[in-house]
Amino acid sequence: MLFNSIEYVIFLPIVVMLFYLLPHRFRWMMLLVASCTFYMWFVPKYILILLITIIVDYSAGILIEKHADNHKLKKRYLVISIVSTCLVLFIFKYLGFVNDNLVALCQSLNINLNTTVDLILPIGLSFHTFQSMSYVIEVYRGNQKAERNFGIYSLYVMFFPQLVTGPIERPGNLLRQLREEKKFEYDNISKGFRLIIFGLFIKMVVADNVGEYVDMIYAEPSKYSSWDIILGMFFYSFQIYGDFFGYSTIALGSAKLMGFDITDNFNTPYLSKSIAEFWHRWHISLSTWFRDYVYFPLGGSRVKFGRWALNIMVVFILSGIWHGAAWNFLFWGAAHGLLHIIEKAILNHLPEKENRGKLEKIVVDAFKIAKTFILVTLFWSLFRATSFANISDLFTSLVNNFGVTEHLHVENSIWVYLGLFILMDVLLFNSRFDRWCDNRSGVVRWAIYFVLIFMIIACSSVNNFPFIYFQF
Amino acid sequence: MKKMIFKFALLAVLLVLMNWIYAKFFFKADLMRHSDEVELAWKVADDSCVMVYTGESSNHTFSWSDNDRRKISDFIFDHFPDERCGDMTKDASHGEVYYYLLANIPEDAPVETVIVTMNLRSFGYNWIESDLETPIQKQLVLLKDYPPLFNRFKLAFKAYDIKSVKEREDARTWHRKNDKLVFPYETSYDNVSDWDYTTAIKGIKNDDGSRDQQLTELACHFIKNYGFQIHDDNPRVKDFDNIVILAKERHWNLVFNLLAENVERAQTLVGDDLVFLMRQNRDYLVERYGNLENVTVVDNLEAVADQYFIDRNWTTEHYYEPGRRTVANNVADALSKYYPTH
Repeated sequence: MLFNSIEYVIFLPIVVMLFYLLPHRFRWMMLLVASCTFYMWFVPKYILILLITIIVDYSAGILIEKHADNHKLKKRYLVISIVSTCLVLFIFKYLGFVNDNLVALCQSLNINLNTTVDLILPIGLSFHTFQSMSYVIEVYRGNQKAERNFGIYSLYVMFFPQLVTGPIERPGNLLRQLREEKKFEYDNISKGFRLIIFGLFIKMVVADNVGEYVDMIYAEPSKYSSWDIILGMFFYSFQIYGDFFGYSTIALGSAKLMGFDITDNFNTPYLSKSIAEFWHRWHISLSTWFRDYVYFPLGGSRVKFGRWALNIMVVFILSGIWHGAAWNFLFWGAAHGLLHIIEKAILNHLPEKENRGKLEKIVVDAFKIAKTFILVTLFWSLFRATSFANISDLFTSLVNNFGVTEHLHVENSIWVYLGLFILMDVLLFNSRFDRWCDNRSGVVRWAIYFVLIFMIIACSSVNNFPFIYFQF
Repeated sequence: MKKMIFKFALLAVLLVLMNWIYAKFFFKADLMRHSDEVELAWKVADDSCVMVYTGESSNHTFSWSDNDRRKISDFIFDHFPDERCGDMTKDASHGEVYYYLLANIPEDAPVETVIVTMNLRSFGYNWIESDLETPIQKQLVLLKDYPPLFNRFKLAFKAYDIKSVKEREDARTWHRKNDKLVFPYETSYDNVSDWDYTTAIKGIKNDDGSRDQQLTELACHFIKNYGFQIHDDNPRVKDFDNIVILAKERHWNLVFNLLAENVERAQTLVGDDLVFLMRQNRDYLVERYGNLENVTVVDNLEAVADQYFIDRNWTTEHYYEPGRRTVANNVADALSKYYPTH
């Protein structure tokens, strides 16, 4: 079920109503049924894959806790759990990619290999496997008690607001809340509603509308002028941001309606002054997952520069291929990692000047923000391109087509939507829409609701743009 | 709770206000952008047409060899030079599209008579679940008779018959397997799937006894397109029923132009069973609509000979000039009862 579908518009109020009408002890059951329904709306049979992950990690959690004193055995269960969860991920997400590359390699060596792997990636697999893994690791580390109730554990992995595109939750946050009794509070309904309409606005009005231009430009870059290519890249930065931020915000809002607080996934990432900061502000739940479960165990930053650089590259390459089983994602991750290392190397030699005047600081910060945004935008083209030929076509046209005089006509309304979004994003720096609204008067709040709801209905794209992160 | 009820009430008031703003300032532009066929309905009103023809691609010609390349509708209108006539032709349309086009003709338009194309093939699931259906359904959303903002909401939240290409294919396959065909005599198949398979295996033979693959595929295509029986619950029947109701409300004379199909070729390629179904379906439509007051069904099913069908490898209703003229003359004959002086 998509958040921006009529089904969800009907489904969510019913679930919220049932949630508050039912006694606390039955709520998790209802939420589990609702989550299964939500997931099975896509392809019902894939729930079986989810079930495998849930059974493995649920059992592993209990066994790890049971053998808390036996370090060797405990570790063995952890490894079994991680390997089996990753195996599921590997089979459905990476086997096709590995096979295709192997076939290509064999062909280049004149070896006859013609195997094909034709498995469809279950929606959100990377998200819920990571969520499930974090539970087992936390139990192993002793930070989390093993969950004995299979239903509640299943709900932790399957909680519908964040099931298919995150945020990737930690047991310390979500599992705890699933056991808490939530009282009906008007404030939660109000905040949840605000977040949902804001999320729908970003997704349906901003991301989907600019997405129409992005699709045109990326489909045939050679047809467009260099300025159009730049525009396409710029638009894609806002499409992917709007799409993912929109989804995450609707997820936050949907959970908030029932009193659940899930992790913020974004914090004005395009105002970052460096790549490192960008990753503190973009897809926060994934960045912190890699930080806690990969980067820190590798030694983090408390090692020599060379080792640190290696750690960074490992994390970013893993992050790249987490997104998709293709070389362009790997290179996208590697590019971010490399830039992160270069930034740090430069900073090590050029220490920050401390006594800057106010104006000078603004100018320097603006320059840093612009630099980071431009680099991120350039790298997004690796992420968006459908193939290396597409990337090559894009950059060739970018360099060669300055002479093309015909320009893409962008409707004025697009600039209005983008302008509004950028303005709101800047206003929400280090804040969140629902909290920001708290500090406005009732009239201003309702005026904002009016504009947002009206725009969602009247100005949204009518084309069918699935959420970009669904493919991961 | 009181606070919440108050806020919901406020929201409802704002929605009414939004609907007014949308209808006043945005709706027309949206219609032109997402449902541009509505312009056809506005145009017949602007032109003060009294006679309106609604059609699809069968209305035009695709042949450059025709001496006169005008449409069927033009040939019909030639018979009524004193009347202001207009046509609302949109390729790949069907009963539901015609209904919404007609419903969007302003009520004060001086329309007296509407001629609605009735394509037999459009009653089959091969068309009802065709890949073109999702974009067609999307185009119809804004034309529906609900508050404009509600229609735009449905468009934004994809609340229409939106299916992927695979889902459409699955639906067609399901109907081929599960829609039982009832013949008044024994046949070796009782559904399109088996019939199609039997024909494909048997194949169409050339004179030298070899298999003609192209003709075999065409025969199978005929079976998939005409191998159905119309029942009262057919979605297209509901569309034409709605057109009848609309015509009655608007006091229009209604003429259904049941298009010619290549029955001759169906007979040659597939045989009596398929022709039986085509005729049975024709009879159903003539009987259902032909006896209604102010409704005429012009039965052109077998009016055009094989040689006047343009497409040789497909089951389309695209005719050469003589075919178009034949259909037009039959319709004009039927119209003469409403316009006896012509």
